[in-house]
Amino acid sequence: MGTPLLEITGLHVLVEGKEILKGISLSVEKGQVHALMGPNGSGKSTLSNTLMGHPKYQVTQGKILFQGEDLTALKTDARARGGIFLAFQYPTAIQGVSVANFIRTAMKARFGEKFQPKEFRKELKAAMASLGVDESFATRYVNDGFSGGEKKRHEILQMAMLKPLLAILDETDSGLDIDALRTVSEGINRLRGPSLGILLITHYQRLLNYIEPDVVHVLVDGRIVRSGGKELALELEAKGYAPYETAKTEQKETVPQ
Amino acid sequence: MSLPDHLKQLRRNARERYESLPWPTKTDEEWRRTDPSLIPSIPADWEPTSSGLKAGWDLPTQDLPSGVILTDLETAVQQFPELIEEYLFQSGTPEGLAKFVALHQALATQGLFCYIPDGVKVELPIKTWVEMVQSDGAVFPHLLLIVGQGSELTLIDERRPAADGTTPVLSDEMAEIFLKKGATLRYVHLQRWGPSVTELFIQRALLEQDAQLLNITIGLGGRLTKAEIETVLSGSGARSELLGILFGSGRQHFDFRTLQDHRAQRTFSDLLYKGALTDDAESIYAGLIRITKQAQKSDAYQANRTVLLSDGAKADSIPMLEIEADDVRCTHGVAVGPVDEEQLFYLMSRGLPHLEAEQLIVEGFFDQVFKRIPMEALREQLAAEVRHRLIHHG
Ligand SMILES: Nc1ncnc2c1ncn2[C@@H]1O[C@H](COP(=O)(O)OP(=O)(O)OP(=O)(O)O)[C@@H](O)[C@H]1O
Ligand SMILES: [Mg+2]
Repeated sequence: MGTPLLEITGLHVLVEGKEILKGISLSVEKGQVHALMGPNGSGKSTLSNTLMGHPKYQVTQGKILFQGEDLTALKTDARARGGIFLAFQYPTAIQGVSVANFIRTAMKARFGEKFQPKEFRKELKAAMASLGVDESFATRYVNDGFSGGEKKRHEILQMAMLKPLLAILDETDSGLDIDALRTVSEGINRLRGPSLGILLITHYQRLLNYIEPDVVHVLVDGRIVRSGGKELALELEAKGYAPYETAKTEQKETVPQ
Repeated sequence: MSLPDHLKQLRRNARERYESLPWPTKTDEEWRRTDPSLIPSIPADWEPTSSGLKAGWDLPTQDLPSGVILTDLETAVQQFPELIEEYLFQSGTPEGLAKFVALHQALATQGLFCYIPDGVKVELPIKTWVEMVQSDGAVFPHLLLIVGQGSELTLIDERRPAADGTTPVLSDEMAEIFLKKGATLRYVHLQRWGPSVTELFIQRALLEQDAQLLNITIGLGGRLTKAEIETVLSGSGARSELLGILFGSGRQHFDFRTLQDHRAQRTFSDLLYKGALTDDAESIYAGLIRITKQAQKSDAYQANRTVLLSDGAKADSIPMLEIEADDVRCTHGVAVGPVDEEQLFYLMSRGLPHLEAEQLIVEGFFDQVFKRIPMEALREQLAAEVRHRLIHHG
């Protein structure tokens, strides 16, 4: 299979002095979709922010390799230009900066000389149309006053334009109505291909009906407690995380210190 | 050049005032945050060279309507003595800078004069500029602008740096703006002085009944700026919108004071000043809203926001109210803070390097001001000017 697209080994992460990720290992091949599920506060967004190089998230142990190269020393913007994309769980508003201006600037950064300013408008229009986004969207300010659904479409719009190699989609399905879920999932599926790897964070099995994962991981309290095929998601839907939470407490009881 | 007698008298009086007023000290309220010893001392009998400044203008492609006067101040003094006598140095004096107004009046000979007679609409914007020519000593630019009853004008007035701008220069400038009944003026002051200029900038705008002023001040240049921008709403129904943009880098220091002076009923003023500072730049903003007893049913708004792009940058913002009328609406708000880290992260997560991400955030921050400029071409020109400064600082 060659070098994995993303290879995380024994990753420990500290946020504001508190350890949130406690030894995560995970390997995503090109073309694969990995779903990451887990209870609130288990560390899913911490992992996505860490992968994107958020300065508040401090890697204390372990390695993150992207296409075989160590990411830890790279700044956020260099990671992005290298092809890592994070669809935010809570995208930030930036007043006064229009969507079109923002995406154009991002594309210039990502593609450099290869960016085709003349094609940009057309490309953006087409991408917006396929995500069911109104044309007026281009002149609105980034995430400013966007509805939950608009924010998520906007994230996928950027993904479509920036053509990443690794996309981390952090709860892109939350806040979407049923129709929007379909449009957005179709949008993501169109981007799937042999060179793109996806880490799909979600709480709901429903999304996985649209975007079929190759592997499902369960993250509880900063550790991956189980990995399996897509049927694992169905099992979680039925039983919840209770079995794993218990396992965790038992573990604590049986292994003192 | 021979001056009319009345002007000679004004100058003599001004010189006496300048000599008798004390040099400001750090304990004066006005000078608490700007060290007065940084202002070069100029003797009252100093002779400014007649070539210290160059004033110029670009006329719109169409001819100016008849009766409109646009010329340099020296010419105006010779050719339009009645108008000069009626208006020059007649707009009043901000108390805090009385000494420097006196110095200005004693020595100012250069600048611009623009007169729009009653009932004339100048459709296209007029561009004027004052350029620094000499590179030491002091200059005293003056702008005298009169817009007649029901007339309309857009003026974009720029301050340009000297080609070689490394030796320190004092610019002691005054702008006097008179808006007659029902007049409309959009005035842009675009300050791009060179890095060695110490600037005192005094602007007085007097608005008669139903006059409307859009007053845009853009401060980009200079080593130190101490500005007083005063708008007097002396006729009922007068309206003034005051917009400001400041960008400072290096060791630039801005001290801006504004006065929204409501003296007649149903007057309106709305001020929004935004600044961004990097390196070790500093800014002080102090804004006073004054509403006299006569000014019932008036509205006055004021907001000042500053974003700090470096640890060394500093900003201070002081809103003040003096309200004697009881039936008024009035709000004010200030905010000073760093760039939002989550916004930076969001933009950087799309590949923008730190500096570029910051520039985009600042452009967006200023957009709220630009968006209030009604003419698109002007809005874009000014935004480009500020963007250029953002990209090329340091
Ligand atoms: N920037 C931060 N500052 C302080 N605490 C943080 C920060 N980011 C994460 N945490 C803490 O780390 C823990 C894990 O949070 P995280 O956001 O990673 O959970 P999550 O699995 O994404 O949860 P959810 O399903 O609710 O999105 C929580 O206790 C959270 O409070
Ligand atoms: Mg989360």
